[in-house]
Amino acid sequence: MANFESHRLRLRRVLARLLCGAAFVIAIARPAPAQQSAPQPTQGFAVERFYPSAPGGGWFVMDDIDIGGGLGGAVSLTSGYARNPLEVTSAGKTQQLALVSGESFVNLAAAITYGRFRWYLNLPVPLSVTGNSGTLGAYRLTAPSVSIGANPDTVSDPRIGFDTRLFGKPGSVLRLGAGAQLIFPSGSRADYVSDGRYRAMFRFLAAGDTGHFSYAGQFGLHVRPAEGSLPPGGPEGNELLFGAGAGRRFTVHSGWDAVIGPEFFGETAVHSNYSGQTGFEGLLTGRLEQTGGKPHLRFKLGIGHGVVQSFGAPQWRVLVGVELIGQRPATRASTP
Amino acid sequence: MKNIGIHDIPARLGVRTEAIGNGRSRVLPRGFLLLGSILLASVPAAAQNGAPAPRPDDQFSFMQLLADEGLHDIENESWNAYGQFTYISSWKPSFHAAYTNLNGSINSLLPNAERSFTGTATLYLGVRLWHGAEFYVVPEVISELPFSQLKGLAGGIQNFELQKGGTTTPQIYHSRIFAKQTFGFGGDPVKKDSSPMQLGTTEDSRRLVLVAGNFSILDFFDKNAFDIDPRQGFLSLGFLTYAAYDFASDARGYSYGGVAELYWDDWAVRFGRITPPKNPNQLPVDFRLFKYYGDQIELEHKHKVFGQEGTVRLLAYRNHEDMGRFADAIAAFEADPQKNATTCPGFNYGSNNANAPDLCWVRKPNVKVGIGGFFEQYVAKDIGVFSRAMYSDGKTEVDAYTSADRSASVGVLAKGSLWGRANDVAGAGVNLSWISKVHADYLGMGGVDGFVGDGAIRPGAETAFDAFYSVSFRRWLWLTGDFQHVANPGFNQDRGPVNIFGVRIHGEF
Repeated sequence: MANFESHRLRLRRVLARLLCGAAFVIAIARPAPAQQSAPQPTQGFAVERFYPSAPGGGWFVMDDIDIGGGLGGAVSLTSGYARNPLEVTSAGKTQQLALVSGESFVNLAAAITYGRFRWYLNLPVPLSVTGNSGTLGAYRLTAPSVSIGANPDTVSDPRIGFDTRLFGKPGSVLRLGAGAQLIFPSGSRADYVSDGRYRAMFRFLAAGDTGHFSYAGQFGLHVRPAEGSLPPGGPEGNELLFGAGAGRRFTVHSGWDAVIGPEFFGETAVHSNYSGQTGFEGLLTGRLEQTGGKPHLRFKLGIGHGVVQSFGAPQWRVLVGVELIGQRPATRASTP
Repeated sequence: MKNIGIHDIPARLGVRTEAIGNGRSRVLPRGFLLLGSILLASVPAAAQNGAPAPRPDDQFSFMQLLADEGLHDIENESWNAYGQFTYISSWKPSFHAAYTNLNGSINSLLPNAERSFTGTATLYLGVRLWHGAEFYVVPEVISELPFSQLKGLAGGIQNFELQKGGTTTPQIYHSRIFAKQTFGFGGDPVKKDSSPMQLGTTEDSRRLVLVAGNFSILDFFDKNAFDIDPRQGFLSLGFLTYAAYDFASDARGYSYGGVAELYWDDWAVRFGRITPPKNPNQLPVDFRLFKYYGDQIELEHKHKVFGQEGTVRLLAYRNHEDMGRFADAIAAFEADPQKNATTCPGFNYGSNNANAPDLCWVRKPNVKVGIGGFFEQYVAKDIGVFSRAMYSDGKTEVDAYTSADRSASVGVLAKGSLWGRANDVAGAGVNLSWISKVHADYLGMGGVDGFVGDGAIRPGAETAFDAFYSVSFRRWLWLTGDFQHVANPGFNQDRGPVNIFGVRIHGEF
């Protein structure tokens, strides 16, 4: 009996050893994880998604399409800073990199209007684009490094545009219009200020004024051929543009009005069907403008936040602008 | 060459009459086309840093068209917009050279046949901000292919549009963004015609003009002769300004800074302080204007001799920039041959000559000075002669313009009034450039600067003869034929001469 017990014990030990050995063999024989391929370098793209409205357009992004009268024109200067407009996150969300951590710029623009038509030219001048380089999963990301000293005369992706008021009169409760813009690739992809390809935008515009209330909206298509090895958060082809703004008008001083209200705008990749590749920003805007039909000034201030902070929408941004408008259509010459 | 007065314009009665009858329907399609053409013209793009000339009233322009239609007050403008495009093609046949890029030097003009071109377009936008205040933005685009990577020539560079670092891929940039404020002090009224970077207005003959922003210093100093746009005149770089005037600028020829001009009837004095490049002949700019800068002062007097107008100017400049001195580079190499052109870790031009000194080793804050004089004189209706000469110290390297240490030019310019083609332009002239003895010694040891350095040298004056004729078509388009003969390219008697043939198409609107 004792021999039998001792035999069983030995058998158990042998089995245990066999199981351990088998487990070890299985463990070491388990197929190795697929060898990680070397991180691939990526190319930059135009990360800025703030496209200022045409000079005289009133809002920062929306357009009041308050175009009328004889030959006129407007010039504008818009400047701003965007914080973390491109943060890249790894697939498992375990790593994050502010690839573009700060971007400041000046937009110079000029417009000519005649009747219900407007032609304009917009020249974006990057002042500073900074970020952080690093490797994130399969991507080797190189940060932009733009400064006004190193890039003293860069014009990144200038735009020419054409807008027309199709329905409604200047100052009316409903105005409808349409516009198109062509964007010329002139900046450097490595600086994250250009796609290196021609782009175009087609927009339907709506705006109106009733009493002390003003509003504007847009819906359009950004034709954006995607090319190259782009980092996550990069453009994925054509995008839908959307946005709306509303504000209340106050008379703050003789000859000066203020309009205060929010603007929301965003874009989404068409083929993604609103499934993640969407950026959405909100701006609290205020503008101070001279009234009357003579050449007048408009000062603008905006503070914004990325409501859906992806796809180039920044963490926050601040904007300032000044416009000099040659004339105002007769029906919009004064505050209601 | 003199601008025709506004009252001399032939009345365009046909246009006016139609406009009155059906102004809207007539103007609109034309406006569409013109505005569209202006905006589209900013697409391809341009580069020259000489000041554009005033547009004669009888020349076609978009602004004049609007004025003719009664849509724009061209004599008291609140805004204006002008544009230009220029394509220049140059070809040089092969030429004789005793040596080329000797011992690994890299700055020789190649002796084989070559073709070069520039294509440029510019949009000049101006707006009046308030009384006396003007604001200008000038976007440009350029595409270019120089001879021999823009090496081997100094004042004799055959096309003044060429930029350092340019490519055949069109590059868009803002050449100028500046504000100008004028304070009137009385005197006689002076009519300023509407033109690129000038709003039509009337100013006092005694006035102070302050300018700040981004511009070419040649917009204000040493303006082109006889109000002829450089793009209608000589092609050779030596006629754009003094070849020895090493004005501070980036690689395209533009600067940031300020200019003050005081006009007192026939006299003017102007001073400017502008930014230099961070490294010689490169695009990045050093904005520390109190540490590194280019200062210039110019005195100008306009006069009449036997009823013919003329101008005399004196110009002096002083640059305080990070530059190398030739004597220092030679001394450093002689003291330690390891400090040669192939071993310097700092900014250098990439020479492969291990037996040559290099400026890279000795760059530090240095001063460069020069003084020059200019005169132009009409000798008959629409015919004028001009000359300019400058002497720079010749101790330090070229920082921004071209390698000449001394220069002189003389020429004649004429519009075709004499032969019934008043909008045609013809000219002939010669420009000469020299280098200092220490500069020649440095090049003789195999050194290179921003433009020249064949590995050896038998010093001589680089001499460029330039003759051209521009035929005007429809008052807005010019076709130019040009011939240049350059002796001693790169100041080297062992090379050349070089013949260069050029064609230019230039349009203004």
